[in-house]
Amino acid sequence: MLGTLTIRTAVAAALAAVLAASAPAGAHEPGPRPPAGVGPRFDYEPPVPGTYRLPPVKPAADGGVLDARGARRRLREVMAGRLALLSFIYTGCHDATGCPLATAVLHQVRAAVARDRELARRLTLVTVSFDLARDTPPALARYAEPLRRVRGPRWEFLVPSSGRELDSILTAYGQSIERAADGTLSHVLRVYLIDARGQIRNVYGVDFLDPRLVLADLRTLLLEERALTRDEAALARIAAPPLGLPPVPVPADTPPTAARIALGRKLFFDRRLSRNGTMSCAMCHLPQQGFTNRELARPVGVEGRSLRRNAPTLLNVAYVRQLFHDGREVSLETQALAPMLDPREMANPSPGAILARLRALPDYDSLFEQAFGAGPSLDRVGQALASYQRTLLAGNSPFDRWYFGGQATALSAEAREGFRLFTGRAGCASCHTIEARFALFTDGAFHDTGVAWARAGAGESVIAVELVPGFVVPMARQVIESVGEPEAPDLGRHEVTLDPDDRWRFRTPSLRNVALTGPYMHDGSLSSLRDVVEFYNRGGAPHPGQDPRVRPLGLDARETAALVAFLESLTGETVDP
Amino acid sequence: MRSRTVATAVIGMLVVLAAALAPAPARADEPCQSPYIKRLTGQEEFVYVWTLGVEGLGDGSDKLVTVDVRPGSRTYGKVVHTVSVGGRHEAHHGGFTDDRRYFWAGGLDTSKIFIFDVHTDPARPRLVKTIDDFVQATDGIVGPHTFYAVPGRMLIAALSNSRDHGGPTAIVEYTNDGRYVATHWIPIEGRTRGAVVEKAADGYGYDVRVLPRRNVMLTSSFTGWSNYMMDFGQMLKDAEAMKRFGQTVVVWDFHTRTPRKVLHVPGAPLEIRFANLPGHDYAFTTTALTSKIWLIHADAQGEWRAREVADIGDPAKVPLPVAITLSADDRTLWVDSFMDGTTRAYDVSNPFAPRQIYEKKIGSQLNMVSQSWDGKRLYFTSSVLARWDKKGAENEQYLKAYDWDGTTLQERFALDFTALGLGRAHLMRFGSAALYR
Repeated sequence: MLGTLTIRTAVAAALAAVLAASAPAGAHEPGPRPPAGVGPRFDYEPPVPGTYRLPPVKPAADGGVLDARGARRRLREVMAGRLALLSFIYTGCHDATGCPLATAVLHQVRAAVARDRELARRLTLVTVSFDLARDTPPALARYAEPLRRVRGPRWEFLVPSSGRELDSILTAYGQSIERAADGTLSHVLRVYLIDARGQIRNVYGVDFLDPRLVLADLRTLLLEERALTRDEAALARIAAPPLGLPPVPVPADTPPTAARIALGRKLFFDRRLSRNGTMSCAMCHLPQQGFTNRELARPVGVEGRSLRRNAPTLLNVAYVRQLFHDGREVSLETQALAPMLDPREMANPSPGAILARLRALPDYDSLFEQAFGAGPSLDRVGQALASYQRTLLAGNSPFDRWYFGGQATALSAEAREGFRLFTGRAGCASCHTIEARFALFTDGAFHDTGVAWARAGAGESVIAVELVPGFVVPMARQVIESVGEPEAPDLGRHEVTLDPDDRWRFRTPSLRNVALTGPYMHDGSLSSLRDVVEFYNRGGAPHPGQDPRVRPLGLDARETAALVAFLESLTGETVDP
Repeated sequence: MRSRTVATAVIGMLVVLAAALAPAPARADEPCQSPYIKRLTGQEEFVYVWTLGVEGLGDGSDKLVTVDVRPGSRTYGKVVHTVSVGGRHEAHHGGFTDDRRYFWAGGLDTSKIFIFDVHTDPARPRLVKTIDDFVQATDGIVGPHTFYAVPGRMLIAALSNSRDHGGPTAIVEYTNDGRYVATHWIPIEGRTRGAVVEKAADGYGYDVRVLPRRNVMLTSSFTGWSNYMMDFGQMLKDAEAMKRFGQTVVVWDFHTRTPRKVLHVPGAPLEIRFANLPGHDYAFTTTALTSKIWLIHADAQGEWRAREVADIGDPAKVPLPVAITLSADDRTLWVDSFMDGTTRAYDVSNPFAPRQIYEKKIGSQLNMVSQSWDGKRLYFTSSVLARWDKKGAENEQYLKAYDWDGTTLQERFALDFTALGLGRAHLMRFGSAALYR
């Protein structure tokens, strides 16, 4: 392939050496190597794509150009929606560290990208000549022909359509050209990396025009695009929730955007936002465990501090109007700050300290600006986290496909039997409600089921502890209490309202995805769905104040199993965290 | 003596000279440290106690406490120095580098590692470096636990991970000067890396020990951050949490760090102690929850196996064995149990049939034990984990020193770490100026 290149000058040999270096490499060296013999040597390992950021430098300017066939084009349209590498050259250049180097590196990158199908589809190489006099479209076509013959992504060869266009383009890109008396042109070599949204993301000079670096940068932008796609998908999910879910309420003043969702996700998973760097939201709301913690009845916070209540799932939290088990919060925006400041949870010493931390972390640079047009504030932290959490929508469960989607076979006969009990004799649906067009399986109200009341009692003097599977030891309560802090009774809603009628009451949780979100009840005291159904079948823990709907149900073993099968049919499609 | 990394040629020569002059020791010093470590074969001069800070007590910070144990010293049995590291990190275990010039101490909560210079002035260790990016550097490993010296490097057995604060974790390697080298994940279902699995591969970690002559490394398994940080009483009542304890000992090819076999040892096998004498190709471990002594041994065909060989107290009463030490002659195994505050000595001359020969209640709660290389002096501390220790009056925090004459423990001194405003006494290591002369 090298022999077919017709390069007019003495640089040809050097360029040939460069191109040889880009010939298919051994199995262990899929990427291009730095040009040998021409330009600088590179003595470092290129960075791992996606491990760093390329902040936008400025918008890539537009301009009128002619392509190698003489057609009128716009620079922006040539690059629209694609990643681009743009270099300015003139074909008559003889400087081995100038235009031929740029073309050689573009060629190398192109050859390497040809093996990466996704990147090849997304990349355009753009070579723009600034020699209007000599680089006519036919001259550009001759220059391009051997280069284009090698398989690889699109490579456009362009020349500005007029002197005015030329000046405007060169000025916009900061390329100054000097014309010597003998007609030679000289310029500072620059190659521009431009993203799909038309932002310049890197500018390479001759000293670091390393094809490995360019490739790493391209792949970094590609990964970033994928992340963006995830945010955009999340945004689309809010606009059109999965089957079985109602429209998502969003605040009119700060609607979710892709940038806000992305920022919220980053905040959600960031352990640095706790006092000692050990806790993030995701340490108690684990995506892989249904956005709760399946391995603990009650979560463990900073320095091992005990929390009083089971971590509620965040799946479909967008619909919860009174947050926390006792309903003490009314919006996701303000709720987000509570765990960050709670001394048992993330234990930040003050609201200002959270903001100071965010301002000091370089990887948050510009993210708040991109999301909100302003820097970090408590409001914006809450808004970003709320935006992210509203995307955690899980619907389209077998039940939804059967009940709302009309798919008769989506639900097993046993689960259908469970549904009849759920909405009929067992009375579950009187609190875990189902509407005509959607179902959240909660009335959003507060009820005393007997769980908290029973727990506040003296309890048994001997507790069976399963130390390893099959090895159950009866342990005296006294022994357990010798190594445990005392627990205060949990009065639930009463702690918010101080209304005696609200003692032991907790918000009805949604039952969506309930098979994913054990252990159950506000204190995680029941391990399995079967345990829960059996608890209600027994009629709770009868005492004055228990909700009258909690009463012995008289379900037999088959009916209990049917109810469990129905509850298991409420698991929605996996949410990409 | 084995080769070791020494900072300068001059010091290296001095060390070799000193080693040549030292009496030929049995292959162990205070409880069975890495055979790659420079050994303290004579009288220990200092006991370093890696101590957990207690909120509201003294400065509330984790600290390295130095106790003078030089017989005849004016300050014998007294705290002569403390270094606070600032904040509470769930101070737990630590270990010397192979040259014994530095002591690495870990925080199970924040995953920070504190490196103390113990050679410049063994009576006054200095904090010289803090590794505070352990989680990021290691691909999300949390809870650096055992620090085990190999030539020029530290093997660190961890307990948890940053993804879910559960049990799956890894062995991590650092250079002696604190640079990250590698992460070796413990085999787990779906990622067993070719290991033979007896029953299950849980991926959990705790201790790491090496038997160089067989190129064998063993790791044991405890539980993840959520459990070891949790209030113990709360955990015992949490059926879900109780399902998350280790049940494996992994046999590794040490040189290649490749897991070979995942042995089934249910009930959270904690400390591992290899026997010392040539031909003794076995190790002991004890299971915290089931209160058993297990023998991990190579059979006649060289195949590594695990066998339950004795009960510790009454397992139904959950004494919770937590620390062990094996004498240099491989005859006596000391086992401390937390709940009953009792240490028990077993004659393990026949490792397949340990026989209890002695027991003594040391305090209301008991954790670590360290013995001198000659087995004549034993030291005990009280704290197991900040949230597991007993509450109220039973929360005794101490270092106690005893003489052992083969039949009875005689107390030499006791230090009340609460009255002294220090905190919860955990791991002990011995220091001596003689090591650096």
